[in-house]
Amino acid sequence: MRDLKHLNYFENLLQVANNELVVQAKKDGKICVAYTCENVPEPLLNLGDCVSIRLSAPNTGSMDIATYYMTNLLCEPSRALLERAVEGGFNFADCVITPDGCTMMNRAVENMELLKTMGKENPRFFHEYMEIAFKNSPNDVNLAVLQCTNHILNPLQKNYGVDISDAAMREAVEKHNRLCRLIRAIGDFRKEDKPRITGYEFHVLCLASYVCPKYLILDKLEETLEELKTREPDDKPWRARVLLVGSEVDDSGLVKLIEEQGAFVCCDRFCFGSYPGRVEIVLNDEEDALTQICRHYIQNCQCPRMMNQEKVYSRKQYVAELAKEYKADGIIYQQVKFCDPWAYERTLGAAMLQNDYGYPVLSVDRPYNIASSSGQMRTRVQAFVESIEIKNIQRGGKA
Amino acid sequence: MKKFLLGILLKVLLAGLGLFVVTFTVYMFNLDMKLMTLIAPLLEKWYDHQEHKQYI
Amino acid sequence: MKTVEKIVNPVKRAGEQSPGKIYSDKLKVRARREWRGVKDTLYDYTRWLYLMSVLGRFIMVPRNVKGFFRYRWMMSYLFVPHGMDKFTIGLRDEALRIAHTSFNFVIADVTAAIGKCFRGDRRVGNDVEFSERCVITDENSMVTFMMGFDKDKTPTILREVPTMFASNIFHQFNVMHYLDVAQQYGIPGDVCPMPEAEAGISIEDDFCVLGACAVQNNTTCDGSLMGNGIIAKRLEREYGIPTYQLATPLRHKEPDVLEYAAEEIKKAIAFVEEHTGGKWDWDLYFQAAKRVNYATRCRIAQMEINSSPYPQFFGAAFSLYNDTNYMGNSGRDPEFIKIDKKLLELAEQGYKAKRMYAKEYRHRCIVWGVQPQYVIDMLYWLVQCWGVVPLTDMLSVINTDMIAEEDTPENREQAYRDMAMLNMEMIMRNHTHGGYKVLLDDLWELCEKMNADIVMMWEHMSCKALTGMHGMFEEQARERGIHIMWVSHDLCDPRVFTRQAIRDQVNNYMRTVMREEPLDPSLEIIPDNEAY
Repeated sequence: MRDLKHLNYFENLLQVANNELVVQAKKDGKICVAYTCENVPEPLLNLGDCVSIRLSAPNTGSMDIATYYMTNLLCEPSRALLERAVEGGFNFADCVITPDGCTMMNRAVENMELLKTMGKENPRFFHEYMEIAFKNSPNDVNLAVLQCTNHILNPLQKNYGVDISDAAMREAVEKHNRLCRLIRAIGDFRKEDKPRITGYEFHVLCLASYVCPKYLILDKLEETLEELKTREPDDKPWRARVLLVGSEVDDSGLVKLIEEQGAFVCCDRFCFGSYPGRVEIVLNDEEDALTQICRHYIQNCQCPRMMNQEKVYSRKQYVAELAKEYKADGIIYQQVKFCDPWAYERTLGAAMLQNDYGYPVLSVDRPYNIASSSGQMRTRVQAFVESIEIKNIQRGGKA
Repeated sequence: MKKFLLGILLKVLLAGLGLFVVTFTVYMFNLDMKLMTLIAPLLEKWYDHQEHKQYI
Repeated sequence: MKTVEKIVNPVKRAGEQSPGKIYSDKLKVRARREWRGVKDTLYDYTRWLYLMSVLGRFIMVPRNVKGFFRYRWMMSYLFVPHGMDKFTIGLRDEALRIAHTSFNFVIADVTAAIGKCFRGDRRVGNDVEFSERCVITDENSMVTFMMGFDKDKTPTILREVPTMFASNIFHQFNVMHYLDVAQQYGIPGDVCPMPEAEAGISIEDDFCVLGACAVQNNTTCDGSLMGNGIIAKRLEREYGIPTYQLATPLRHKEPDVLEYAAEEIKKAIAFVEEHTGGKWDWDLYFQAAKRVNYATRCRIAQMEINSSPYPQFFGAAFSLYNDTNYMGNSGRDPEFIKIDKKLLELAEQGYKAKRMYAKEYRHRCIVWGVQPQYVIDMLYWLVQCWGVVPLTDMLSVINTDMIAEEDTPENREQAYRDMAMLNMEMIMRNHTHGGYKVLLDDLWELCEKMNADIVMMWEHMSCKALTGMHGMFEEQARERGIHIMWVSHDLCDPRVFTRQAIRDQVNNYMRTVMREEPLDPSLEIIPDNEAY
């Protein structure tokens, strides 16, 4: 296929956390609201002049300092973020909002706070920690509303004079939805038998939508969507179509590695992927926007930390439905090493998707930066692709 | 009668003393636990041979 | 660096002077029991008889024999007296009586729990009527939500306590099998082994199957929360036992989570009523609340004594008793009042007599972090071998607030908040979760209050909440002039750290950093790595 016109541009944006668009946003006088978990309602971080920047640490190498503070037993994303913060890589942040979601990420940010890694030049800088919902119940919606009010809205208003009115929230949701529609429309091309976008390309675009100020990438995403409408797909068939599920994938190299083995990553269901992160938020006029936003996040949340059994089962069903919709031949459940929630989720998920839904599943752990251990992953994926092909042959299909 | 009762009392005391000596010996030399160390490996084999429905 | 005054024990210990001699590298138990002088040896002997009678009565029940041969974890209970010996190393006088009083009661409580498990178990006793009144809960579960239910009519069974937690105390290798099963099914080896072992027990189908319903919670950590999903799936889908997940907020010091937590308690109560037919009784609740407050007052008093130069009730017995009383009992059983009272009397008596556990107290130590239960009891060893007095441990530093105990309309609403508060401030999670202040700042305050110069930091290999603050502990301890002694371990897997490997970390610190010689060299290296 012809290269996407802006792919290289988006790839470059993912090379550093403080990328050129973040710098541009700061110049535009925007308030950079840093965050670390997709359970935080994103539109609330984009009210008025605020722009949400999801913290990431691309091209992570040594994590010595973070390992001293948190030992080598904590997950690599949490250590990579702390290392990057200590190096000064997140100095653009005007505040950090962290839910007490997974313990390790929470500890990473607490270390950032204690080490005063950010906000030295900004007297209005603040850290906020919030409780997030555990279940999808009305009580949890109430909790989320209160937590968002106390730990996002009020601090933003108090420190930066941000407009936190219902109208401002609706406007933020509309902007958010515009982005979601774009990403989803681009992602829908992955459903085609001969997809005109690769999983890698899609991942680059989707990830950029989290780590860059949204208002600065919309035009290029729109242009990319138009370009895709007329893009000619390759004739060469993929050996298998796989759905990628699990911990956050900040390194597009992982998706590239999988696709290099002939497995097309037809859909993404991981932290900061397009499902459920880029699902539109539908608001009505009868109820206040904040409650509806919170309810949307709770109902759509696929985080393994959601603990009621209904959610436990529905998470697997959600994966199975996506696999069906995107015509996946198999599912890759992956977790970043030392991630407790996904360690259990991938074990149970792999078993249920295999036994209850009949999908071949590869269950695997991996490093944050795939380049540090690509050989092992390559072998696992190759074997998985071959096993899918063998199953197809046994069923009378072609390899 | 008195002699008879004293005899019984003596027997009870002797039995008690005997019981004390035996149990105290078991206690002091940890014979109870030493016996268990002989039983445990057999039990382990018993548990290993049980069929369980492993399921996740 | 901070220093504390050295105190020399003016009284020579009765009986054996070097208890290290009773260990054997040829046996998996001790070569013999400790000679403690006539009086204390006879006392210890009578407590051994008592334990034997508890075990004997248990095994006289036919269904318990059946259960014994069905469940692998039951093998641990062959070694209960051996476990007791671990907790009485070098003890005399009041200290010995305190250890026995508290720990014997814990054993009786666990034995009763196993008896109930077997009675209702579909494979063993299969008492359907009983089973359908029971509520089963997790190992790390506060049972505050059961405080208003009749404990006999609606029994609560912390099913994982006898199965995993307590069985691990008596037999250090017995849980390994379940860890292997869990890992065979794909759970990685780097998660906390406690919930992992519990998941392994469920996968192996080695839990008793009983109960009208189950209530699970997230009171410990991410691993525990996630392991519940695996356990609940089997309970619900295979055995048809409905489960309720009682969500407990993590940021328990923030007032804006209390209403949510209270609402969750209400729902858990409604769930229990719906499935067991039991009815919430406010009289029972407020009686239990009074007992919770009494236990809290006793614990505060014990901590006061421990803040003095002559601490009395500490070590594993203190921690395990608090676990049982605060968490597993939550005021429901009046028997605990008698034990609380007796323990306090013994501690006060020991304090007045200036009783010491060792021949010298060189350092005063706070034990922080998640402590292993299978080890030769480290805390008694610490004081006997090195003269380092473990004033308290993190798991015993729990709620000190009183809850409403008078039955009024306002207090009935307050009661839900009180139960929620107790639940949120559950053992361990009240420090490992809720922000760094409860983990770091609370420790330094405690060091100040209890005049400690050393912190022994248990670094549990897979406790991410603790290890995530490793560097901060180091830096802040240095700023305050407090010695921090890291002791790595694995909560349930002696293959990761053997007992001696754990002790050696202390030995090395004491010799190389503190430049000290042991008080009792016979204890420095003990050949018990292979012991049960």
